[in-house]
Amino acid sequence: MASTAVSAGGRAGSTVPARPRRFRRFRPTLSTTPGRLRLLLIIGVLLSLAWGALAGFTASQYAAAASSVVATREPLSLDAQQIYSRLSDANDAAATAFLTGGLEPPAVRQRYLADIGAAASGIEAATANGGAASGAAAQDLNTLAEDLPVYAGEVETARADNRLGLPLGAAYLREASGLMRSTLLPAASGMDAAENVSLDATSAQATGLPLISVTLAVGLVIGYLLYRAARWLRRRTNRVLNLGLVAAGLALIVSLAWLAAAYTAGRGDMLAAQARGSTPVEALAKAGIAAQQAHADESLTLIDNSGDDVYQQDYVSEERALGPGPGTLLTAAQAAAAGSPAASAADAAVLDARAWYAAHAAVRALDDKGSHAEAVASVLGTGPADAGVPFAKLTADLSAGTTADQATFDKSAQAAAGDFTALAPGVAVAALVMAASCAWGLSRRLVEYR
Amino acid sequence: MNARPRLVKAGAVALAAVIAMAVSAGCAARPGARPAVTATARVAVHSGVAAPAIAARSVSRAGAGAAAATCNPDAASLAPLGPPQVTAGSFMAKIRARGFLIAGVDQSTYHFGYLNPLDGQIEGFDIDMIKAVAEAIFGSPGHVVYKAISDAQRIPDILNGTVDIVAHTMTITCARLQQVDFSSVYFQAHQRVLVLKDSTANGLADLSGQKVCATSGSDSATLITHYHAIPVTVPYWTDCLVLLQQDQVAAISTDDSILDGLEAQDPFTKLVGPELTQEPYGLAISKQHQDFVRFVNAVLAKERTDGAWAASYARWVGTPVPAPPAVGYAS
Repeated sequence: MASTAVSAGGRAGSTVPARPRRFRRFRPTLSTTPGRLRLLLIIGVLLSLAWGALAGFTASQYAAAASSVVATREPLSLDAQQIYSRLSDANDAAATAFLTGGLEPPAVRQRYLADIGAAASGIEAATANGGAASGAAAQDLNTLAEDLPVYAGEVETARADNRLGLPLGAAYLREASGLMRSTLLPAASGMDAAENVSLDATSAQATGLPLISVTLAVGLVIGYLLYRAARWLRRRTNRVLNLGLVAAGLALIVSLAWLAAAYTAGRGDMLAAQARGSTPVEALAKAGIAAQQAHADESLTLIDNSGDDVYQQDYVSEERALGPGPGTLLTAAQAAAAGSPAASAADAAVLDARAWYAAHAAVRALDDKGSHAEAVASVLGTGPADAGVPFAKLTADLSAGTTADQATFDKSAQAAAGDFTALAPGVAVAALVMAASCAWGLSRRLVEYR
Repeated sequence: MNARPRLVKAGAVALAAVIAMAVSAGCAARPGARPAVTATARVAVHSGVAAPAIAARSVSRAGAGAAAATCNPDAASLAPLGPPQVTAGSFMAKIRARGFLIAGVDQSTYHFGYLNPLDGQIEGFDIDMIKAVAEAIFGSPGHVVYKAISDAQRIPDILNGTVDIVAHTMTITCARLQQVDFSSVYFQAHQRVLVLKDSTANGLADLSGQKVCATSGSDSATLITHYHAIPVTVPYWTDCLVLLQQDQVAAISTDDSILDGLEAQDPFTKLVGPELTQEPYGLAISKQHQDFVRFVNAVLAKERTDGAWAASYARWVGTPVPAPPAVGYAS
């Protein structure tokens, strides 16, 4: 732009005689080489500074998105996932605890308490991490914070009544379970989905192409203008090269290369974090929650004991959703986890699920032929043939996979954030160097005309 | 049945007409009767575990009004043919070959049919009747598979053969007698009212305009409506006690047998008011198994005379033990 403006100004004097008066005033200045040099200097400095602003803005956008993934979106998404899966497990544990006559098995009670504690601290952490500030998820978080204590209170009332041998306990458990299924789990699921959407959106910002493309294109145009300016100057002054313009060009090349390299590395790391981290984690967590809900249905079918098979129907549809098979959660998790550290855990989970389904069929057969106690014992059992074992292994494998890929995500997302470290100040400094070099190089030529 | 006030029958018909669209009952709703309000309370709204309760009981009651003239629920059963005997080819022989009796029971009515949380066993007065029947078939205790069913499932489960027998605080009514057979009467209940200890209400008449809990579609709601109280309906009777404890209803009204069990679970409640109805309980059996009806009646006859009935009554209902309900047979 600098050189075209200059040459256009030069041509204007000879080819367009009837220029408006106000433009004529500048003509004497632009028609001389020192005048053009002065203008070139001003334009060069301004372009350098504009480039610094644009490159710095771009760099800070990517850096902010990447560090937001690491510092905000990811923790919130983890909190939401923890709340959802822990509540789902608490629901299952509460049902399972009620399955036995007498005192609930200590391990199941421990599991319930740990779930409630983890869900509560998840809610607290999500609030502290700013989850309460963001839209629909805020409403869900509020519901969770309000109703979790109510739920826990009803479960404890149920437990107290059970300890007195009163069937009233079952009514409180029914109420608690209704609250869980109708209010808490939907809120947790909604918040989890909303946080996953936010995480994906922020990750997409950290890897988005348009901004970086525009910035690099502008940088290349500026580079071309610098080259044209240097060529014009060489012709006009018969010098080989203007060191200032060369230095400015080098600073530009450095900032362009840095931008391109940081972006390429950051995008690679962020995509890896998604592909081998958050995507399989999400898929594994979904499968885990479906497994817990199917297990709660298995228990509720035995508790309900009514021959009315509402819960068994629920179980069947959860089993169908869980898979394995085309379009099922386990197969999706297996596909998502392929090539990630969770791959073997996901493969194992498929085998566990098949074993559990077979054991569940045996439990139903026992219950249907009147051996209710044996059916209950199998669900709660830890022996090799008991249905409790493959289910425990299924959830353990899914959760091991989730943990492994979560670590991958953390590592890669942090690397992505690291790729953008110092990029923004770096390109700003490079732009200042550019501006200074232009000013220095051109003013040296100007001096020669005095 | 004779003691049941006429207006109760009319109210029963009216409510059933509203709930079950029993147009054939041929009665318009009483001008004063309010439609049953489905509970806004949480128990009813998210009763995730609870099977949805039913209108079957009130539907049959509607018919009861229509068919009452030709039926005496207290003497509608088949007479036993001597002491209980499992004859070859009988339904009892089939049950014996299968290895267990399948009984449809309640699991939430304290002292009649409830799941004891302490040992996970279903127990109660109704359950004792089932145990006696099973022991008479098999000659040894046990051999029962209990299906915990809701009110609505009682008649369908008998009709489709899912259960052999139902023991479920089930009132013998003329309408039900058209669908299933009943044993002789083994318990006589009456509808009354349960309130909190500090309540001044002394019966449904004092609860006009207030919320009173009953299970969905039970005939208990009919009487609640008749007294201009607002019925709040939930799936199970224990859900009513939850609502009473949470101050969401002013009272619960149903059979005293059920209310006694609720009162026993909360010492801050009391039974008040007069006995409003007669509710003769019978064990329900398919009409296809008349041999089994006679067999069960023989078992009950033995229970009444050998002291087993009185012992069970003393254990579950309390002392002093009255004489067993008078027995009459249709044939």
